[in-house]
Amino acid sequence: MKPAPFQYHRPTTIEETTTLLETHRHDAELMAGNQSLGIIMANRLATPNHIIDINDLEEIEYIDVTESSVEIGSLVRHRTIENSAELKATLPLFPQAAEQIAGPSVRNRGTLGGSIGEADPAGNYPTVLTALDGDLHVTSVDGSRTVPATEYFIAYMFTDLGEDELITGVSIGRDPFPADRTGMAFLEQKAAAQTWPTISAATAIRVDNPKASEPVVEEARVALANAADIPLRVTEAEASIQGEPLTDESLSAAAGAAIDAAQPEGEMHADAEYKRELAGEYTRRSLETSYERATTTQTDQ
Amino acid sequence: MMEFEGEFTSNHSREELWNYFTDPDILTACAPGCDEIVMESPSELAAVISVGVGSVKPTFDVDMVVTQADEPETLRMEVGGNATRNSFDAVAEMNLHSNGDDTTTAHWSAQTNVSGLIASMGQRALGSVSTRLVNNFFEDLEAKADEGVSAESQLQAKEGAEASIDD
Repeated sequence: MKPAPFQYHRPTTIEETTTLLETHRHDAELMAGNQSLGIIMANRLATPNHIIDINDLEEIEYIDVTESSVEIGSLVRHRTIENSAELKATLPLFPQAAEQIAGPSVRNRGTLGGSIGEADPAGNYPTVLTALDGDLHVTSVDGSRTVPATEYFIAYMFTDLGEDELITGVSIGRDPFPADRTGMAFLEQKAAAQTWPTISAATAIRVDNPKASEPVVEEARVALANAADIPLRVTEAEASIQGEPLTDESLSAAAGAAIDAAQPEGEMHADAEYKRELAGEYTRRSLETSYERATTTQTDQ
Repeated sequence: MMEFEGEFTSNHSREELWNYFTDPDILTACAPGCDEIVMESPSELAAVISVGVGSVKPTFDVDMVVTQADEPETLRMEVGGNATRNSFDAVAEMNLHSNGDDTTTAHWSAQTNVSGLIASMGQRALGSVSTRLVNNFFEDLEAKADEGVSAESQLQAKEGAEASIDD
């Protein structure tokens, strides 16, 4: 099918974009990589009268790594995140999540902001941001504000973003994740490489001393995709492995916590009970991998 | 048929809250996605409401009939909405319980039949979003009451009306 008729706008500045959003509000949709909106418009599930194409907003296409933080603009493509040496060296969870999104054609065009704006609970970046306690930066004609990822995702595809607001980028503090003693892993279970995951786990582990014979987990992060109606941070799983070296027992406790916390919706190929089991298993595997990466040479990550 | 329910606790008495829940101007200001509410009679309201999931957000022409208004306890209405390729019918009820300490708990429930494209989102997605939207509505209404915005009860039950929904 073809989309319903719409008026096309192509602003070149943030100011122009937010003015258009303010004018057309719920009658407008932002378009960047157009990897999701195009499909639902072609099926006429969405029929916005105004499309605001933000591909010319160069000011929101950046990756800035400083001593204290990593900042990524919302117009950065999955492919750029996947290949970023700076991100691989500092927050490898981002490139790991990016390289597993759909297929190459989607990754070439899809953007960070599009994924966060869509807020599908199975999405990769929403889960990464939740695991890493990231902040979102949004702006409108009324000014800019910062929203913690933990407050941004509210319900299924429902976020704190106002209909007149543009996501300009995200930032993540580097302080909890010193590269020389942190390991991260993004593991997905999916029926086929290019589809959405059944369950994904995003984890990070910081140890006290990677060279110790039994490095202690100082801090752990666990977030799951598609295990609830929003990205699911499992603090009970984090608590069950913190403060001691990783063991089979603590891993099992973390997996059990993930199973308890998961409230998945059954799907055609995976019922809710199976998805809860997967939530536990992928939490276990992902934490194990993160710990291995935290305690071995960092160059392979 | 889909069923939704929830509750909300307010720091205001139910007598006070009743005025807010039955003032169309307050409802217009607090209802999610609501552009306008026209009061056609003390029992009948017409509204234009744009709500949805993600970028799927049809604009509904909504008709509401108050079928029960037992001040300050029970408000029940029958609601129908039509949008391009989408429609819904619903019966919504709210009960205000006084907690004996000047706080009130509002229990709400709705049974609804949804058809068209939005029905394909499924109960999980619609339930997740509806519950959140209703909570937003209560929070906004509570904020109005906190600010002391004046509210005047204008709704009453339609005589002989009974809310029902087909299975």
